[in-house]
Amino acid sequence: MAQSGFDRRRVNGPNESLQPVYDDGIKESNVLYKAWKPGEARRKRQAKDIRPICARHTATPPTPFVTQTVLKTGFIKQANGSAYIETEHTKVACAVYGPRQSKSSSYHEIGRLSVEVKFTPFSSLVRRVPIRDAEDRSVANLIQQALTSSVRLDLLPKSVIDIFVTVIECDGIESCIAAATVAASTSLAKAGIEMLGLVISCSGAVVGDDVWLDPNEEETQLASGILLCACMPALGVMTNVWQTGCLPLAKAFQSLQLCQERCIDIHQIAAQALHED
Amino acid sequence: MLSDCCLIPGQPVPISRGPALQLGSGVYNRNGETRASLLGVPVHQGPTLTIPRIKPHPPAPNSVVLGSITRLSPQQAVVSITVVEGVPLPPGEDFTGVIRVQDIRVTEKDKVRVGECFRGGDVIKGLVISLGDARSYYITTARNDLGVIFATSEAGGTMEPVSWQEMRCPKTGKVEKRKCAKPEGL
Repeated sequence: MAQSGFDRRRVNGPNESLQPVYDDGIKESNVLYKAWKPGEARRKRQAKDIRPICARHTATPPTPFVTQTVLKTGFIKQANGSAYIETEHTKVACAVYGPRQSKSSSYHEIGRLSVEVKFTPFSSLVRRVPIRDAEDRSVANLIQQALTSSVRLDLLPKSVIDIFVTVIECDGIESCIAAATVAASTSLAKAGIEMLGLVISCSGAVVGDDVWLDPNEEETQLASGILLCACMPALGVMTNVWQTGCLPLAKAFQSLQLCQERCIDIHQIAAQALHED
Repeated sequence: MLSDCCLIPGQPVPISRGPALQLGSGVYNRNGETRASLLGVPVHQGPTLTIPRIKPHPPAPNSVVLGSITRLSPQQAVVSITVVEGVPLPPGEDFTGVIRVQDIRVTEKDKVRVGECFRGGDVIKGLVISLGDARSYYITTARNDLGVIFATSEAGGTMEPVSWQEMRCPKTGKVEKRKCAKPEGL
């Protein structure tokens, strides 16, 4: 074996070794934001606009944030409460069962909230495997944190409330979590479970110097950081704040402020949906 | 369509009366302001302000429940609670209750035999005395109007109450021992 690298007993690799070629990060699938440069304005909507919730097709063009139509409640008959929310490409259904007797063997004075989220395999561009999807658990945790402080669990000893969220289509994961929180809170109210107030959630993406509310999938990719906030507009308190990416403090507070203001408008839509049976 | 006074959770309740108002279920007080915690119309029941709840809810102490006997033991009878305060629970979502031997009747508590008071499958009307332990609520039937309201005899017929201790099968005429509830209107 005088020649180095020539070994008959093993499978030999190539003689030459080269560096791998890296993609420079620009995705080809950005249809809306093709040839968009940082610093340019948002496309198709204003920075402060959220996508309309369940817009009906009318002759007159919709106002900046459409409050015409409502999210639908009570569409799952066998559940105690249910809600379906649809923004342009985000569709989330939620069902609430309970208060049921808790199966755990320990006695607990205050009730428990159990949130379970399921993404359908066709909900995003890349197929999600139903059993091995790891994102379900973290989304469920966020929704649970947002809702726990709003429900009067002290009145439900030994009971558990099951909330099942099914994401049928997801356009931007943070806006999807926000929509799911609104749907879950509305279905809790519909189920007749005592709450301190409705929980409304909104997400904002920081792109350059602007804050764009309710970002879709492409805008989420362009953003440097995203803030998701859940609050109870009736009481003026926050229940959950989740921040991802890189955000300077001033921008974080600015987007928090904008999200809170928008939550008040979404609260109107939710209230309207509850009043209409 | 619901009336205009229908409130959503978190909405302040418009109170017209003076401040001497007790708060019932469905409303709560925060920073001196009364707000709704349920979706509904507020109702004044005497001195209490409440939002009535029509949806099924878990049993609370002092609520009247209906259930069926699932298991008997010398110390207790296990009940599957199906109706709480007149509201039936959804199927599959029943709660478990327990009637201890000392809570079956008021008199002669030490001489009670569970087999002479209840049988499996009987429908009973009881009162929840406490939350009990992790698995079951504690129920009592120690009152005139509490006890077995519906039972089937060994021959298969629906029995009628004869006295507070006995029920009679109309098919065979046989008398069986149960702790019966006093029918309403008697």
